[in-house]
Amino acid sequence: MKTRSDSGPVLDKGDVLLEARGLSKGFPGVWEHLILDQLDFDVRSGEVHTLLGENGAGKTVIANILSGYYEKTEGEIRVKGKLVHFRSPREGLAHGIAMVHQELMLVPAFTVAENIMVGLDAPLFSYGIAGVEKRIQRLVERYGLQVDPKARVEDLSAGQQQRVEILKVLFHEPEVLLLDEPTSLLTPSEADQLFVVLRAMADDGKGIVFISHKMREVFAVSDRVTVLKLGKTQGTCQIAETNEDELTRRTFGETVPDYMERPEVAHEELALNTIEMVPSGLEKKPNSQGISLKIRCGEIMGLAGVSGNGQTELIEAVTGLVPPASGEVWILNADMTGRTPKEFIERGVAHIPERRREIGIVEQMYVAENVVLKDYRKTPFSKNTVLRHQQISSHAEKIVEKFNALVPDLWQTECRILSGGNIQRLILGRETWRKPPVIIASHPTEGLDAKAIRHTWELFLALRAEGSAVLLVSEDLDEIMSLSDRIAVMFEGKIMGIVDGKGADREILGHWMAGGTASAA
Amino acid sequence: MELTHLWGILFISLHAMVPITLAAIGETIEESAGLFNIGLEGILLFGALAGALGAQASGSALVGLLTGMGVGALIGLVFGTISTSLRGSQLISGVGINLLALGFVALMLSVMGAPGFHSVAREVQVPLIPLGVGNLSPLVPITVAIAIGVWWLLRRTQLGIWIRAVGENPAAADVAGIRVNRVRLGAAVAAGVLAGLAGAYLSIDWFGAVTKEITAGRGFIALAIVVFSGLNPLLALLGGFIFGFFDGLATWVATYPGIKDIIPWQFVAMMPYVVTLAVVAGMIGRVRFPSALGVPYLRE
Repeated sequence: MKTRSDSGPVLDKGDVLLEARGLSKGFPGVWEHLILDQLDFDVRSGEVHTLLGENGAGKTVIANILSGYYEKTEGEIRVKGKLVHFRSPREGLAHGIAMVHQELMLVPAFTVAENIMVGLDAPLFSYGIAGVEKRIQRLVERYGLQVDPKARVEDLSAGQQQRVEILKVLFHEPEVLLLDEPTSLLTPSEADQLFVVLRAMADDGKGIVFISHKMREVFAVSDRVTVLKLGKTQGTCQIAETNEDELTRRTFGETVPDYMERPEVAHEELALNTIEMVPSGLEKKPNSQGISLKIRCGEIMGLAGVSGNGQTELIEAVTGLVPPASGEVWILNADMTGRTPKEFIERGVAHIPERRREIGIVEQMYVAENVVLKDYRKTPFSKNTVLRHQQISSHAEKIVEKFNALVPDLWQTECRILSGGNIQRLILGRETWRKPPVIIASHPTEGLDAKAIRHTWELFLALRAEGSAVLLVSEDLDEIMSLSDRIAVMFEGKIMGIVDGKGADREILGHWMAGGTASAA
Repeated sequence: MELTHLWGILFISLHAMVPITLAAIGETIEESAGLFNIGLEGILLFGALAGALGAQASGSALVGLLTGMGVGALIGLVFGTISTSLRGSQLISGVGINLLALGFVALMLSVMGAPGFHSVAREVQVPLIPLGVGNLSPLVPITVAIAIGVWWLLRRTQLGIWIRAVGENPAAADVAGIRVNRVRLGAAVAAGVLAGLAGAYLSIDWFGAVTKEITAGRGFIALAIVVFSGLNPLLALLGGFIFGFFDGLATWVATYPGIKDIIPWQFVAMMPYVVTLAVVAGMIGRVRFPSALGVPYLRE
C-alpha cells in the first residue's frame, strides 16, 4: 500500500470523516441478541470520540467493521460522504481508516523500524530502512510519541510497544484512527501520555475513535462520547454536557438489577479466610496491604473491580497456584499457606478460571479426559492407577447433558475445537458436581447466552443453599449485585470496602472501583 | 611439513566446506521463516543420485547440477506443503525424507549395477579450475557468493524482513498482509534447491561417484552449523570451513605416508564429528532462534 506525503491531507476541523448509519451485525444462532443493532455513529476531524460500554457491548465489533476487519450485516458506511464497502483492512487503510488492536501485533526480535517495514508494500529486494527511520523520527516529533526507531521492540515497555503499534498505522497517514482499549496494558501515567498523543493527533485534524470502559479515561480525553449497551447505542453527547453519574447510569443501566431473593443460610463456619494476606505480585505495589477476606459457608461474596487491580493475584493465592508473598490462607479451619494446588483441590477448592482455554482445560485433550481432569486419580474413575473408561464415559456424559454442552463426541472431540461457551459449561460441570465447599469463580458467565447465564446463577444459589462458599470475581456489576450476599471492591490490590449485596448502592461501588474512599451510609 | 602439504589441506578443506555450507545456508533460509527441516541428509542423498543420473543422461555436468537442484526443490516443495497447508509434523516429515532417501538410493544403486557404488565418468564431472598450486572446484567461489548473497537477502532486503517476520511472529505478519504459508513454502523450496546442489556436488564434482553412504552425516553436520551460526549465513560459511578443515585434515592424515602409521585413521575420521558435538554443546542456549520455529501457523 502506498503511503501519503508527510504533510498529510488538509482537513477542516469539524468535517465528518467517517459515518455509519443503521449499522447491524449478527451472528445468527450464536448470540441471543444482535452484536450491533441499528447503530449510528460518526467521527469528525479534530475530535476524540469515545465509545464507552461494558465488555460485550459491541465496541470492538464496531471498530473492526469500520476498519474493514469484519463485514457488516446491514447498514452503510461513508467516508467523507462517499459510500464505501471494505472487504479487508487494506481497503480501509486505503481510505484513510486505521485501527490499533487491543493485543500487540509486533515482532519482539525486530527493531521499531523493522516492525514497520513488515507492513510496507515495498519491492522485494529494496531496503528502505534509513528512510523509514527518518519518517518515524518525524512522526515521533510531530505527535510526541517518544520511541527510538532503532530500539528493539522486546526491550521496550508495554507503553512504548503500544506507541509502536500506533506508529505502524500512523505510517500510512490515516485520517481516522480507531484505538481498541489502548490503555488496557498501560500504567495510569503511560495512559496519560497516550492521551497527550491522541490530542496532538486530533489537533492535527485527524478523527480519533477511542474505545474504553474506564470512566476516568473518558473524561480525560474525549470531546464526544457514545455509550453502547448490548449492541445498541444509548446516545451520543458532548463530554462537556454530561457528567460521570449520568454516563455511569447510561453505561450500566438505569435501574438497579434484581437482587435474586434467597433463603437465609445460617452457617458460621468460615470456608475461606485470608489473614493479612498479600498475594505474590502485589507486594511490590506502593502501599500494598494485607487482604483479610472472610467468606462463610453458604455465602456468595462478590468481588467487584476493574480488571487488573489485583484480582488475578488474589485468585492465584486462594487457589494455591502461587503462594502468597505474606500472610495466611485458611480453607475450612486448615492453614493452607504454601500448599500445592493439588492439596487445595483435595481440600475442596474449585476454580473456574477467567483464562479458560489456557488454564481451565487442556485444549488438546478430549472432552471426557477434560471432565475428569481433577478426579481421574480417584475412584470410580481409576483403579490401581488404570483409568476406567466406562466410568469416565458415563460421568462425562452426565456432566455434558446436565450443563447442555454442545459436544460432538466425548472421546473424539478435542476441547480446542469447542466454543468458549461450551468449554465454560464443561468447566462449570467439572468444578461443581462434587458440591465443593469453596468455589472461586472468575467471570463465570462471560461468553454464555442469557439462558445459560440464568442457569449458572441458579447453580451458584443452589450450591450456596447446600453450604458452598463462592468467591465471585466479575467485572459485570449486574452479575455481582444480583448474586452476592456481600460485595467487596478491589482497587490497586486493596479491598476498598465491603457492603451487603441486598440493597447495595451502585454509586458507592462505582466510587470504590475508581479508588474513592467514601463510606457506605 | 612442506608448503604443498598446506595447500593440499586447504584445498581439501575448501572442497569439504562446500556441501555442508550449502545445505546449512538453505536450512538458514528455511529456519528464518519458521520451518525446521531435519531431512537435509536425505535431500543431499537424493541430490547426489539425481546429479549423477542427470549428468550421465545429458553428458553435461551443468545439467547434472541442475537436476540435483530440481529434485531438491521438489522434496522441499513436498516438505513445505506438509509443514504449512497440511499442518503436519516437521520433525516426522524430515525423518521421513531421510529414511526414504536411504532406502531409495540404495535400491537404485542395486538396480543400476554394483550394489552400493556407482561411479561417474570423468567427462561428465564438473571441470575444475586449474590454479598453480592445485585444482579448485568452481562450486567453492559459488558457495562463498551464495553465503554473502543470502546474508544480504535476509538482513538487507524487504523480502528478508518478511521471511524473518514469518518465522518470528506469523500472526503479526498475517495481519500486515503477508501470506505466511506462501513465504514458508518458498523458503522450503529454496532450502531444497541448495541441499540438492550440495548433493549433486558430492557425486559429480568432489567424489566422482555415488555411494549409499556418500553423505556420511553431512546433512546433520549442516544442521549443527546452523545452530553454530545463529542463522547468520556468513557464520555458516565460517563454520563450514572449520568442519571442512577437520574433514580435510582427516583425509590428509589418513593418506599421508608416515603419519597414517602413527595415528589410527579411525581416530582422525572421528574428528569432524567430535568437533561438531563440542561446538554445538558450546553454542546451545547462546544463539537465538525464531520464536515460531517448528510451529505451524493457523489463523485464529
